[in-house]
Amino acid sequence: MRTAPARSAPPLLRLGSAVALPLRPRPLLWALLLLAGLLAAAASTLVLGRLGIPLADLPTALTGGAEPTQDFVLRRLRGPRLAVAAGTGAALGVAGALFQSVTRNPLGSPDVIGLGAGAGAGAAVVALVLPGVVPVPLGALLGASAAVLVVAGVTGTGLRHPGRLIVAGIGVAAMASAFTQFVVSVVARDRASVLHAYVNGSLGARSWDHALTIWLVVALAVPFLVALAGPIALSEMGDELAESLGSRAGRTRTAAVVLSVVLSAAAVSVAGPIAFVSLTAPQIARRLSRVPGPNLALSALVGALLLVLADLAVQQSPLGDGLPVGIFTMALGGVYLGFLLVREWRRGVL
Amino acid sequence: MIEKGRSSVAEGATAAGGAPRERGLRAERLTLGYGADPVVRDLDVEVPEGGFTVVVGPNGCGKSTLLKALGRVVKPVSGRVLLHGRDVRAQRARAVARELALLPQSPIAPEGITVRALAARGRYPHHTLLRQWTPEDEEAIGRALELTALTDLADAQVGALSGGQRQRAWVAMVLAQDTGIVLLDEPTTFLDIAHQYELLELFADLHRRGRTVVAVLHDLAQAARFATRLVVMSAGRVVADGPPGEVLTAGLVLDVFGLPCDVVPDPRTGTPLVIPHERRR
Repeated sequence: MRTAPARSAPPLLRLGSAVALPLRPRPLLWALLLLAGLLAAAASTLVLGRLGIPLADLPTALTGGAEPTQDFVLRRLRGPRLAVAAGTGAALGVAGALFQSVTRNPLGSPDVIGLGAGAGAGAAVVALVLPGVVPVPLGALLGASAAVLVVAGVTGTGLRHPGRLIVAGIGVAAMASAFTQFVVSVVARDRASVLHAYVNGSLGARSWDHALTIWLVVALAVPFLVALAGPIALSEMGDELAESLGSRAGRTRTAAVVLSVVLSAAAVSVAGPIAFVSLTAPQIARRLSRVPGPNLALSALVGALLLVLADLAVQQSPLGDGLPVGIFTMALGGVYLGFLLVREWRRGVL
Repeated sequence: MIEKGRSSVAEGATAAGGAPRERGLRAERLTLGYGADPVVRDLDVEVPEGGFTVVVGPNGCGKSTLLKALGRVVKPVSGRVLLHGRDVRAQRARAVARELALLPQSPIAPEGITVRALAARGRYPHHTLLRQWTPEDEEAIGRALELTALTDLADAQVGALSGGQRQRAWVAMVLAQDTGIVLLDEPTTFLDIAHQYELLELFADLHRRGRTVVAVLHDLAQAARFATRLVVMSAGRVVADGPPGEVLTAGLVLDVFGLPCDVVPDPRTGTPLVIPHERRR
């Protein structure tokens, strides 16, 4: 080998000779900043408002030495809610990044193409019609899978054509949402909160069980995501090129869609079909990192931060706790969706 | 002229028992496509190591599909493709990708990718999950950018480049893959004539430096000028195969393309030049 002065090698994470991973400074910096932001938002969630734990008491409260009221707020009221928000946001962010990468379009996002609504319908059916027979996450998974299959089926081109995908997705989302409302109005017509839980998504009254569910699924997904990140980035260049570089395009796509469905379903089963986190988080992550590819880790962090912030806003809003966070994200995300639709239309993608 | 460097011996030589392993690419009784009307039928073709092989033929004759099958991207209905004597489908995709690279017709540049990052993607088959960088990476990427004259544009966004530069960026990616064999599917389409020749000269240069180059081209004059060997396809079969000077005749062009023409020597290179007849009314 030539011994000319080596062109500057990238910064590397090295462990002996077996591990050599390039470190990209910009995404790394943003990851740290987002993590700091997430901690700040989490602390604010616990501290602010009428029932907030004073910042000075927070360390004691977290280590278990709080007075009963604070302990109740931390362990029953806001703690689990916060944990669910962060986990759900991360799951939605990653699910969106995967699906957008597979469809090569920001609009090919689980919340836009009816996956969330399908999961909501599935969850509503098993939770309200068949309580205790089928676990809610399984119902959500079935609903999400059915939505994806219907969308991929009716487009006639699978998940390839973004325009058809979105039109089919809007139809599927509307039908799933109508079905959910039908189920709710038959079974629990007197409770608006139930309706919100399955149609819009809400983080009200979450328990540690919900937190455990979502974090378990996220943790289980991590090794698969690590293995998939490279092949997914290659697939963005087209199947033929990805295959000629030695990756398996078909298998990569299937794995990405399955993971995305599982993560979306898990998110919906603990928080309902919260809209637009999947759509926006990967786009924000991509702009922050300026690295091409799915940016899975940053999408997770952005998703978590978005949802924790949205829930913080909802909890501290003058309308009070009663406003479901899903309605808030829908109001904000709808604006972004409109912007994207116009942009993609002008580009001639739709 | 065809037999350069290590020759491609071994008609029927097996890789077994110390016999010299066959080098290069070979398709055996290859049938590609689906249904009753396959795109490529029962085709045999050999790509010896070290040549610049150009595949020509009318639209829809199956040349692109053949190239993809040679590149392990299309799975044959029957028959097989041998890389250095071993069936490509029996090898791991990554192992094949370290020996042979394919540039398809319309690859998609990821949004916001730089020229260097695109070239770096060619290193994928040399990496593993835990080793996503090797000391050879910088060397291979730097050399690829140099050969394609993109060193100064390394940090430019691919989306902002001109058509010719963009195509060179894709070629840089394929070169960074650092394979002995490079397959190019209509690499000059959509480029103006100056950029077409610039790219073809680049491929000829790669060939002189020892790579085996296989390209699908449309322009017969370009094919004849740059190829060491011409493979002419028609309706899924190879109808002629050999040095352009011997293969490219007026009779062949009439048979294969249905175009009456004269074939005259290129005044600069002496390679055959197709001059179509004007249509009589």
